[in-house]
Amino acid sequence: MLNYLLVQAVNGLVIGVIYAVIAAGLTVIFSILKIVNFAHGEVYMMGGYFAYFAIALLGVPPMAAIFVAMALAFLLSVLFERTLLTPLYSPTTERKADYGILATFGISILLRNIAIIAFGPFPLRPPSFFQGVLVWGPIVISWDRIFAAGAGAAILVALTLFLRRSAWGQALNAVSQSRESAAIVGINDRLVYTLAFGVGGALAGGAGALVGPIYALSPTMGLQPDTQAFVIVILGGMGSVGGAIIAALLIGLSEGMFVALFPDPTRSLAYAQAFSLLVMMLVLLVRPKGFFGRVHLAME
Amino acid sequence: MNQHDDARRGRGMTPTAWLTRRAALAAAAASIPLIGQRRAWGAAEPIVIGWVGPLSPPGGYAEGILMKDAAEMGADEINAQGGVLGRPLQIVYADTRGMPAEGRTAAERLVQENKIVAAFGEFHSPVALAEMEVFRKYNIPFMACDVWSDEITAKGYQQVFRNAPTISLIDTAIGEWIAAVGFKKVALLAEKNDVGLAARTAVAEQLNKAHIPNDSVDAETTTTDFTAQILRFKNATPPYDFFYSAFSEAGAYDLIRQAKELGMCPTPKCGMYNSGGEATDPTFWQNVKEAGVWLVTENVGLPQSGWNDKTRAFVKAFTAKYKAEPPGAVMESYDGLYLLADAIKRAGDTKPEGIIHALETTQYVGVRGQYSFATDKDPPWHYHQFMQAPLTLIQYDKINQTVNDAPILWPRKFATSKELYMTPA
Amino acid sequence: MRPTQLAGAALLLMLVLAFPVLVNPYWLTVGILAIFYAIVTASWALLVGYAGQFSFGHMGFVSMGAYCSALLVSAAGLPIPIGMAAALVLSGVVGAVIGYTCLRMHGPYLAIFTMAFSEVFRIIALTENEITGGAGGLEVTPLFHTRSDAPYFYLGLALLAASLGLMSWMTTSRWGLFFRAIRENEQAAAAAGVKVVRFRVLVFAIASSFAGLAGAFYAHYIGILTPDVGSVDQMGLVVAMAVIGGAESLPAAVIGAIVVEFLVEALRAYGEWRLVLFGALLLLTVRFARNGLLALAWEQVLRLGPVRERARPARRPAAS
Repeated sequence: MLNYLLVQAVNGLVIGVIYAVIAAGLTVIFSILKIVNFAHGEVYMMGGYFAYFAIALLGVPPMAAIFVAMALAFLLSVLFERTLLTPLYSPTTERKADYGILATFGISILLRNIAIIAFGPFPLRPPSFFQGVLVWGPIVISWDRIFAAGAGAAILVALTLFLRRSAWGQALNAVSQSRESAAIVGINDRLVYTLAFGVGGALAGGAGALVGPIYALSPTMGLQPDTQAFVIVILGGMGSVGGAIIAALLIGLSEGMFVALFPDPTRSLAYAQAFSLLVMMLVLLVRPKGFFGRVHLAME
Repeated sequence: MNQHDDARRGRGMTPTAWLTRRAALAAAAASIPLIGQRRAWGAAEPIVIGWVGPLSPPGGYAEGILMKDAAEMGADEINAQGGVLGRPLQIVYADTRGMPAEGRTAAERLVQENKIVAAFGEFHSPVALAEMEVFRKYNIPFMACDVWSDEITAKGYQQVFRNAPTISLIDTAIGEWIAAVGFKKVALLAEKNDVGLAARTAVAEQLNKAHIPNDSVDAETTTTDFTAQILRFKNATPPYDFFYSAFSEAGAYDLIRQAKELGMCPTPKCGMYNSGGEATDPTFWQNVKEAGVWLVTENVGLPQSGWNDKTRAFVKAFTAKYKAEPPGAVMESYDGLYLLADAIKRAGDTKPEGIIHALETTQYVGVRGQYSFATDKDPPWHYHQFMQAPLTLIQYDKINQTVNDAPILWPRKFATSKELYMTPA
Repeated sequence: MRPTQLAGAALLLMLVLAFPVLVNPYWLTVGILAIFYAIVTASWALLVGYAGQFSFGHMGFVSMGAYCSALLVSAAGLPIPIGMAAALVLSGVVGAVIGYTCLRMHGPYLAIFTMAFSEVFRIIALTENEITGGAGGLEVTPLFHTRSDAPYFYLGLALLAASLGLMSWMTTSRWGLFFRAIRENEQAAAAAGVKVVRFRVLVFAIASSFAGLAGAFYAHYIGILTPDVGSVDQMGLVVAMAVIGGAESLPAAVIGAIVVEFLVEALRAYGEWRLVLFGALLLLTVRFARNGLLALAWEQVLRLGPVRERARPARRPAAS
């Protein structure tokens, strides 16, 4: 029994790292643009397809394809930000939060349906990063998953370093705390917004590229991680990348544990997602700022 | 806020101008219905047939799109040979997205706007049930293609026929086979849609009848990570020796791969079944690789031994055009059109009574063999059901094997494998 | 109202009442569905556009009302009007509860919380298929057994008129002022004496009850009910309807729903591109015509639900 729970735990943590990358992207976007990006799951999906086609059409090796996917996801996000999100910075736009929700919602509908037409409805699968399965005592886990977790962790480390050490990263941090103060110090906030949306998208796209060999790529694959990402970001507290990472790991872990331990086996898998939603609802009631959230700044 | 008001006021017009504009809008809105009127130019007025099915989410759009392709192919072929009764066939495709309300409006539109004389297709039972009500209201013959709920024929509507097998037929076969092989404990996983649930219920019923212990689990159609559930199954004592899954969405591939990776099945100790069609779809092997070897699944097309010339021609043409062998659902769609065309030809006109009678007496031979539709109602789902709907259980024993090359396990009269079940190596 | 406006309104009314006779049954079906969406969209507009409570859980109430009425009628044998009334009450009560629990939430948090609620309900309806029929669908007793759908149209119209009437009365009364005050700045409103708690709960209750009623109507019309009614896709459609019509004005939202429903049907000819075009239209409207394409027109002509409080001579809002 203990072995079994151990295996579930390990697997849950691995998934959690991927969730963390996605959630980190959502958090970056929220911290700086102050909007919830409802199209995040679709950028994740596009990242997966970008990687697939880079490998299939351009012959890029799978590992390099991850970078290609992130770069293309970055550009796609920048494109959307420049064309659709600029009203967020204009003083005449009312209720910017609502605008952000509506605009990103529209983007998600657009991307999803374009993907069906462009990529076809059938699931596709890019080649594995590493073949085979690791068997270590009771733990059985595919190398692709281990690689994805490792690469995901590396991306998160790179992100943290970027936010703390690089000039642009610190600019992002500054703007997330106070737009006006950042402007006073001479930070070009428009560039920062674009950068933030791009970085958030790149993270989602990278996650999509990493899970390509693990899960089937399909145009609707973004819907489920989207909901998960919201749960995680709420739990971790919008605005805190560290919080998002911890919450992601917890969610990954608890989902596995839920399926393992829920007494009614018929319903355990079915209710696993409802479970994390309920947890999120509970957290929102008790601690609206999540575990590590920063003070929720006003939207305008 | 005042500057906004001023800006907006500046864009306004006099009330009369607004009234005129609004009246024009109302008139335009009222005329939308009239736009649908169609005039047939040219020598022969086309025979219009409607096709219904999911072409976008949340419906099963992957299969729907394939079924549409097959219908298009069929229509092109028929027209190339002079059409039906000297008139060209025109098919109008309606995307029903897997939602009953859409099915109903689509059916209404096909009848009222496009003036169809018959309809075929569909992939989701609840949608077909909604469409049937409309077709019955207007007395339009409807050939249900890939919907498996017993209700569809059990309702006894004169207009409704089905050329696909039904749950009672399919899952009885699967349950019988499992019992025949002698599996001792079965795990069932079903997707939470009409197909999955009905399949799981029917198979479980068969297993219970045979006193084989079984446990069922349901999963969301969007699930892609079954690891936790598979591990839970794997950890059961006594262990399961067969895993039946009714999962037709994209996650089916993940399910099969994860089951293999985690060492659950297919292994020498535990076999695996996947129902729903994914295992016969074009991208199956690309997605599952070796994990698909030893998987058992059903094929609703004819076993290769029973292929006739039409089957061979169709498979060749479809594979050439769409780069993939046609799964059973596709053949149902193709034959569905041909059945209607044949019925119209024999009836001599497009009146519903004629078509219905012609279908009841049909002996048309299509790519899935010879068709006939029962007219008894005992049990109720027999009515207008293609009772000899082909159904074979196949098991892949080589990677990248095509559906038609895979050894057939059941029914024994078509079996090409000596064993009832090939234990994985 | 001016004579020209009166004449225009009368003409429109006649056209609407004669609709079932003017069009073929297909467009009648579309019209009935448009009425359904109109009720849902108007109630959502009340909640979101008017009171500023950005809820993504609205379809959850629609679904709840639908299943409530369907199950009461088929399982308990209650007459349909009772079922529909029960749906209204249940949705209203649950809506009030949700409104109360959400008091400390705003904007995106509220949106996500309500979306989660809607999803949880959908998952339960999907999983408990012994009761709800799950994805296989629940057969629902139809309201009318006539060959034509015209009775549904008129009933729907009556429901729409009643709900619109009630909601409009609310918005043009003092309550409307309070809602908008809460929307613009909750703290200031509270400081000015608006009982924020009471009104937030109230608007949730009212909006949800109408959503539930619409859901019950839908169930007894379509005759077969699946959990998809409460899906995020459907919510997106309603959002689009409200945005394109105009979320801050109830009549505009209604028109938006009707126009979008007819548009989505008319776009069938474009096949797979239908939803892409639709998404693009939504984006363009949000980006360039934030208050909706129709809000302006409606507000100008009929003055039923003002888009913005015009600059009037200063009048102090009465204490609530």
